[in-house]
Amino acid sequence: MTLRGYRSADLPLLSGPWLAGELLGLPLEQPPAMVAPAAVEAPKDNTVELCVLPGAAFVCFTELDWVHRRARLEIGVQPGAEDVVTALLKTAVSHGFRVLNLHRLYGWVTPAAAVPVALLQDAGFSCEATIPAGRWIAGRPVDRQIWGAVRHD
Amino acid sequence: MTEIQLLDTAAAASALTAVPGSARGFLGVDPVTQNHALLVRELTRLGAQVFRTGDTLLGYLPNEVQPRQAYVASTSPDPEPLRGFLDFLGTYQRCTSFVALVPADSPPVVALRDCGFTQVGTLREHRYQSGAYQDVSVYFVRGEDTCRS
Repeated sequence: MTLRGYRSADLPLLSGPWLAGELLGLPLEQPPAMVAPAAVEAPKDNTVELCVLPGAAFVCFTELDWVHRRARLEIGVQPGAEDVVTALLKTAVSHGFRVLNLHRLYGWVTPAAAVPVALLQDAGFSCEATIPAGRWIAGRPVDRQIWGAVRHD
Repeated sequence: MTEIQLLDTAAAASALTAVPGSARGFLGVDPVTQNHALLVRELTRLGAQVFRTGDTLLGYLPNEVQPRQAYVASTSPDPEPLRGFLDFLGTYQRCTSFVALVPADSPPVVALRDCGFTQVGTLREHRYQSGAYQDVSVYFVRGEDTCRS
């Protein structure tokens, strides 16, 4: 599996029925009512690295910091493409470490959204912090976690 | 409580530069390695607000996905300015919980602990400083619920 750079024709991949800003944005079974679909902006400058898996998902490296060599990873998978998630996560981590030459990748995970944590652990991530009431979903605050992967080589 | 004064972004960058050692990691910026222009750009991009109380600088950053939660930062190990600042945010921004991301073992950790913050996690090797990767600690405290609506 290879990621390729974003082109304007990939715009429909950038929004979907997942939680905004999540490390692994999978389509929610019951998206909260009255909430607009999550969307990331098309990149305007070089502070964001946005890649796509054509027809299936986007992978966004945001908050890129070349001093601390880290980036926040954000993935959004389109409905019907959930079977690519395992390979996609590993490809995204590999892209961050090998292509962008980063030292650390991290992202937000909301356990209330039923995220498959086993897939994240397989890709090298581990839960580093749990922030109580870190996100507002469906009329109540829920916990939010920071998961991170560090490159050791 | 002493007076809390809001600084504009340029003044905030200058003030952070004046206390470089204790302001490293202040809301994620680093006045030692970042110049004035870059500090201004970073603070603007983050949407951060910087306040001054006496000699202490205090930072506020709203949590975009939880309007009742705020990220806070302080440059001083003295807990009194921070305590007053949390009251201020609870009253005027209706914040009910506060999060602080600080480099491990930095001076503000003392103030955070005195204000009731507890460590809820550690971001591994999140910062590069002095030739090595360093951990960043995540602190959390729940304020009094001041929302009367």
